[in-house]
Amino acid sequence: MVDLDAEPTDIAIVDRLVEFGTALRDAGLTVGIDDVLTFCAGVAELTPSDPEDVYWSGRATLVNRREHIPIYDEVFRRFFLHVPDGAANKKPKDVKVPQGSTGTINIPDSEPGEQESKEPPLVLGLEASSLEIERTKRFSACSDEELASVRRMIARIRLEPPKRRTRRSNPDPSGATLDIRRMARQAMNLNDSAPSLLQMDRKRKPRPLVLLLDVSGSMADHSRNLLQFAYSMRRAAQKVEVFCFGTRLTRITPLLDRRSPDAAMRLAAEKVVDWDGGTRIGESVETFVRRWGRRGLSRGATVLICSDGLDRGDPAKLADAMEKLERLSHRIVWMNPLHDVHVGAPPTLAMAVAGPHIDEVASGNDLGSLEAFAARLPQIG
Amino acid sequence: MTEEANTTTPESVGDLREQLIGVDYLADRGLATATLIALRLGRPLLLEGEVGVGKTELAKCLALLTGRELIRLQCYEGIDTHQALYEWDYARQMLHVRALAEHELTDANTIGGLYSEEFLLERPLLRALRAGSRSVLLIDEIDRADDEFEAFLLELLSDFQITIPEVGTVAAEGRPIVILTSNRTRELHDALKRRCLYHWIGYPTVDEETDIVKLRSPGVTDALTSKVVNAVHRLRDMDLVKPPGIAETLDWVQALGAIGALEFEGETVVDTLGSVVKDRDDLELVSSDISRLVDG
Repeated sequence: MVDLDAEPTDIAIVDRLVEFGTALRDAGLTVGIDDVLTFCAGVAELTPSDPEDVYWSGRATLVNRREHIPIYDEVFRRFFLHVPDGAANKKPKDVKVPQGSTGTINIPDSEPGEQESKEPPLVLGLEASSLEIERTKRFSACSDEELASVRRMIARIRLEPPKRRTRRSNPDPSGATLDIRRMARQAMNLNDSAPSLLQMDRKRKPRPLVLLLDVSGSMADHSRNLLQFAYSMRRAAQKVEVFCFGTRLTRITPLLDRRSPDAAMRLAAEKVVDWDGGTRIGESVETFVRRWGRRGLSRGATVLICSDGLDRGDPAKLADAMEKLERLSHRIVWMNPLHDVHVGAPPTLAMAVAGPHIDEVASGNDLGSLEAFAARLPQIG
Repeated sequence: MTEEANTTTPESVGDLREQLIGVDYLADRGLATATLIALRLGRPLLLEGEVGVGKTELAKCLALLTGRELIRLQCYEGIDTHQALYEWDYARQMLHVRALAEHELTDANTIGGLYSEEFLLERPLLRALRAGSRSVLLIDEIDRADDEFEAFLLELLSDFQITIPEVGTVAAEGRPIVILTSNRTRELHDALKRRCLYHWIGYPTVDEETDIVKLRSPGVTDALTSKVVNAVHRLRDMDLVKPPGIAETLDWVQALGAIGALEFEGETVVDTLGSVVKDRDDLELVSSDISRLVDG
């Protein structure tokens, strides 16, 4: 650890290092006091006058996720290499503009809000952020009463994800294997009487659930409810991952972990930038497969896709992505609000293409069908 | 592992890099610095990065370099403390009890003896604790284990001691070198990350990778090496589902060597592509544009 009886020059260095830690904290990194101590101790082992040593020891001790590396670099440059603030400030501004907002899918809101009337026509570039507010409008605009009534109803739905067998076992008189361990323990206690046969069986654990929610324009009537449904699921079951998609895919799982559903849904509305836009199911499923499915997020999981199948993307891509998704997950359920229990789903191209890879089609256009689905869920898989 | 293995801690970052090159591992400055700090401060080192960039290999090379024993714990979903730490050998205990009973030897002493070293099955973590500073503990693919296991590791990594109720507390005499690797299939808990030093291993540059290939496969001609490395870098730019890591580059060079290829051209490339591209969709994508791969 840091030597307290150090030379004055050393103390000056330590001061500087601690300041650097503070600067990082200001930039949004979680830097604890112990992290700074480790940092100082690390630098002490190297050459404090060598910026490269300081850089790398800081990166090893103060950064603990990859996404933070650019921020770290930025602060380091400003702090130790004295890059002027102007150049440094540029970056956060770039970051704020979402990659997908090119303005091409700016579909006017059906109920114009105050924001729109006050602002002059949108210009791309600097005002990209206000464009974002417009897109999230529909969702944030719904009244608290509305949200509350939907929440009350959806929250009543009891959810139980399908289960899988785990590696671990539990005592079970009708189990298939002998529980040697318990028998041994009993044998020791009973001393010499013959041990009785004790059985056990594999424990059952809920399967993970992955929800892919279509929030495009054609789903506008349903997406709010579906999100509420997703929120309830997230709270009811342990392993639930939630994604929204329109033209691009956004992971909103962490946002749903709020105590207050309203706050959670507001956050989600802010994060999803392609609200009420077009749909590219194929690309979105493909993105999911590539970024999350491949890494095992959907392995052994029940994947629930909620979409009306009105797709503007490439059907070949959807077929391809669905095939991959099928191989990476346990079951795929497609919830289609246009699906009628008696007539079936309308023959959209996307549904036709995805059909062979879907295990089950459900409706979800009203509370009744959501409840029916929730009741059906434990039996899937 | 030889007795004469170098056991002194390296003096500087440059020193460590030299020593690692001695065991055929080329670390860039960042990785070497992180490793050196981890060694000096006795902290675990968490390595993240794409598949096949040498995360696991670093632990192996460190073991070789320091002459320590490499103890590897491969994590998987559902791993529990029994598989990671220790387990009682129930079957043997039971047989032992039977034998004792037959000779009417069951008294407090012999029963107590059931929970002795003899019946304790050592698993990687306990073994690493006991070996202490004579070991390198590699906890591989920690992201595959469950959250509960992570919490358990947290405890172990902060104190380097565990308590076995029947035996007592086992504490490490010296700290083992601990390397954790993760492929980021899920986010690790911040608490665990805070116990560790962190380093992200990215893909190397063309020059670095050429040096790595030369170090690992010295028999290959420079011309072939440079062509393969350039091709791999082009592959990484191609938006593949599974971009090749350094391990794949080395495999490819070796595959070419195995079939005695002297030139890097059309047919030999197609024939050996399986050693570097390991996904059907990727294979189709690459095969359709093989000339771009060869000529650049």
